[in-house]
Amino acid sequence: MRRFVILALLYVGVQLMLPLGEQGHGSEALVTFGFLILAAYTVGELTVRLGLPKIVGYLFAGMAFGPSSLSAVSATAIGRLAPVSDLAIALIAFLAGAELRWRDLRVSGSKLVRMLGCELLLSLLGIAGLLVALHRWIPFLADAPAAKSAAFIVLFSTIAIAHSPSVTVALLSETGARGTVAKSTLGIVLLSDVAVVVLFTVSQTLARTIAPPAGAATLPSPGLVVWEIAGALLVGGAIGLIVALYLRLVHRELMLFTMLVTLFGAAIAQATHVEILLTLMTAGFVAENVSHSERSEAMRSALERSAAPVFVVFFALAGAQIAIREVMSALPIVLPIAIVRALGIWLGIGIGARWTRAEAVEQRYVWMGLVSQAGVAIGLVTLVSSLYPEAGASMRTLLLSLIAVNQIAGPVLFRRALVRSGEVDVTAAPDVVSRPAPAVSLDSTG
Amino acid sequence: MAGPFVLILIVAGAYLAAHWAFEWLGTRYLLVSGAEYLVLGILLGPQVTGVLQVSILDAFAPFMILAIGWIGASVGSAFYIPRVVRGYGPIYRVAFAEATLALVVTAVFLVGALAWLYQLPLADTVAPATALGAIATASSPAGVAMLRRRLVRRGLVVRQIELATAIDAFVAIVAFSLLMCIDHGAPATGRRAPTPTEWAVISVAIGCVGGSLFHLFVGNEREIDRLFISIAGAVILVSGAAAYLRVSPLLPTMLLGAILANTRRNRSEIRQALGRVERPFYFVLLVFAGAAWDPGTIAWWIVPALVFAIVRAVAKLGAARLAALVNGLTESLGGRWGRALLGQGGLAIAIALNYQLFHGTALLADVVFSAAIVSVVLTDLSSARFVQSVVGRFTEPVLDAQTPTGPASALEAERK
Repeated sequence: MRRFVILALLYVGVQLMLPLGEQGHGSEALVTFGFLILAAYTVGELTVRLGLPKIVGYLFAGMAFGPSSLSAVSATAIGRLAPVSDLAIALIAFLAGAELRWRDLRVSGSKLVRMLGCELLLSLLGIAGLLVALHRWIPFLADAPAAKSAAFIVLFSTIAIAHSPSVTVALLSETGARGTVAKSTLGIVLLSDVAVVVLFTVSQTLARTIAPPAGAATLPSPGLVVWEIAGALLVGGAIGLIVALYLRLVHRELMLFTMLVTLFGAAIAQATHVEILLTLMTAGFVAENVSHSERSEAMRSALERSAAPVFVVFFALAGAQIAIREVMSALPIVLPIAIVRALGIWLGIGIGARWTRAEAVEQRYVWMGLVSQAGVAIGLVTLVSSLYPEAGASMRTLLLSLIAVNQIAGPVLFRRALVRSGEVDVTAAPDVVSRPAPAVSLDSTG
Repeated sequence: MAGPFVLILIVAGAYLAAHWAFEWLGTRYLLVSGAEYLVLGILLGPQVTGVLQVSILDAFAPFMILAIGWIGASVGSAFYIPRVVRGYGPIYRVAFAEATLALVVTAVFLVGALAWLYQLPLADTVAPATALGAIATASSPAGVAMLRRRLVRRGLVVRQIELATAIDAFVAIVAFSLLMCIDHGAPATGRRAPTPTEWAVISVAIGCVGGSLFHLFVGNEREIDRLFISIAGAVILVSGAAAYLRVSPLLPTMLLGAILANTRRNRSEIRQALGRVERPFYFVLLVFAGAAWDPGTIAWWIVPALVFAIVRAVAKLGAARLAALVNGLTESLGGRWGRALLGQGGLAIAIALNYQLFHGTALLADVVFSAAIVSVVLTDLSSARFVQSVVGRFTEPVLDAQTPTGPASALEAERK
């Protein structure tokens, strides 16, 4: 309560101060950024007491103080803080990769791939089927010719099945969960990032073929598509080796070094036109698995230390970007899609788990960790809206609304899965904030 | 594509080289790391390779302001009043006298020197000369910090140097912040612009009100991660508020740091949280300050820069000697103890960058920035050597470089 009163006083103080000064050197962005961090932190602490994940609190704080509600954070300030968000995504991807071990992937990799395959296929078919059924009420499908409708349905469904590595990593970091459900969910989410990028590239090519976009947009060559994935593995591997070399030879200023690696890793990926998240995940994975265990432990510890404030910033900014009015108006269409998507995930994981004879807790709870959506999906939405500007605008609104719904519901479900499977001690959870923990073992016996 | 690659290669190479080379050099030859990042920034900036373009520097301006604010908060958190009260009075008098004398002497001399060099009226050179005076007052604490671990015991000279660097920082920040209030470029909002006194009150109020509110906000939190988030939010908000009103973020954040460190029981945790990103911010500040350096349109910038470096050295040595003499401590401190204060580092650059960011178009702003950069490049590396020339020669036995300098030996040194 004390913190809310202080927050209210700070809000009034900031509003009183704004007419006195002038913008310059991003100072307004700094003011709002500082306020947003404090607001997110305060609301995050409150949501923990309500039994919800902190990141939901960060999202709510962003929504409450963002441009679509109290406007304590302006859209200009959010734009100015885009590099912070980019750095956060890169850091989360690197951390996600560093949580995986090669020997465990070898043991359970095939199981995870099969579970993922079932889940993606059923979700994709479910969403596509629902879009066909509801096409009269969906703005970008209602008046479109059959070929265009098919192209848009394929693109929409591919983006809608994406998961969120950032939410998964943030929640595992927050709760300290390292059990079977945590391991399998993280493995599936990371693998799905690769799968979704491949699927999106294929569906984009298909969409461009059956419904060529206006202008002289050219089809991406197959070589380019292969390079985006394979190049990410190569570039990420090279960065990971450099990190491992640094850990072996220098082993100092790890926090600063990991920040630099993620910052420049993202720049390298952009410059070489490879998938950024996959590059950084691979870099984290290679660095973790090539280095001596003590050294990699220290690196992960440094990463996790810097991750706590990064999560606050990332999710609060993500919340601030949610356009509440648009989400509310799109809710009648979005809710059925979200429910069908969740059903597809549930059914797909159930079938996949039975097929691979996974543990009972995996059958029951892993699907709940796959509902979240965030960064990857938003990135793909932007690509589609630039490809088809007219239809892309309404598709963008619908997809962002869907992502917003899943972004809020996903963490709540995932936390519930971890609690129900006994991987989180409910009494201890509120005090656990990104504590250094051993790397996630994907081996079900580990 | 070549640009980003060159940037990555240079930064990665320089980062590794700087760490290896300076770790090795620092251990063996008492060289303090820091100035190399400044040089790296100059090499990457628009003046040399152009890898860091002006647009990139502009995009990173909020980080520079935050780094400046963070330095202010770190300086403030070091002022713990109960320890100050328990301290030996005369060394405080010496420290304050030295800082004030150095500030006044440098500023007064440079008012005349700049007016003569650039054929300007004296009134026009008061603001840049005062900014240079504030920069001259700042001394690097890195030298004495490096040597401290090697000392067998901490005598009066070491305590005096430690205190003098802290008081130098305090005086430099206060003087510079007041200058920014007096020479304030008020926004043209149509209403009456606040007077310099009102700006000074606003500047202090941001720090005090912020400090009081965050005192309540932080509470008795002892978990470093959570504390870090609260403190980061506080420093960002206070720095941003100060920058938005075009007053220096250094004074408000210094007050914020001092209030938090003095009013809460979790003082050491607060210091730890602030210290967690102090070095990254310090390096960021140095690299971007180097990149932002622009000798400007005024020719012969090197002349006033060298004049500044010489005047500062003379003023520091003279002020230290005079302060010790007036307070009857010449015998204990030695006539040349001021040598230990010759090194300059992050705070000098923070002040210069602050002046450049807010008064970049003002008269002689480029000269102020160039002088600060030259002074830091010339003295930062040798900070520890300067300190050693005082403590090693006079009262404090310094162990050789081979002696283990772990926490145990530091503890033993404290005990003795």
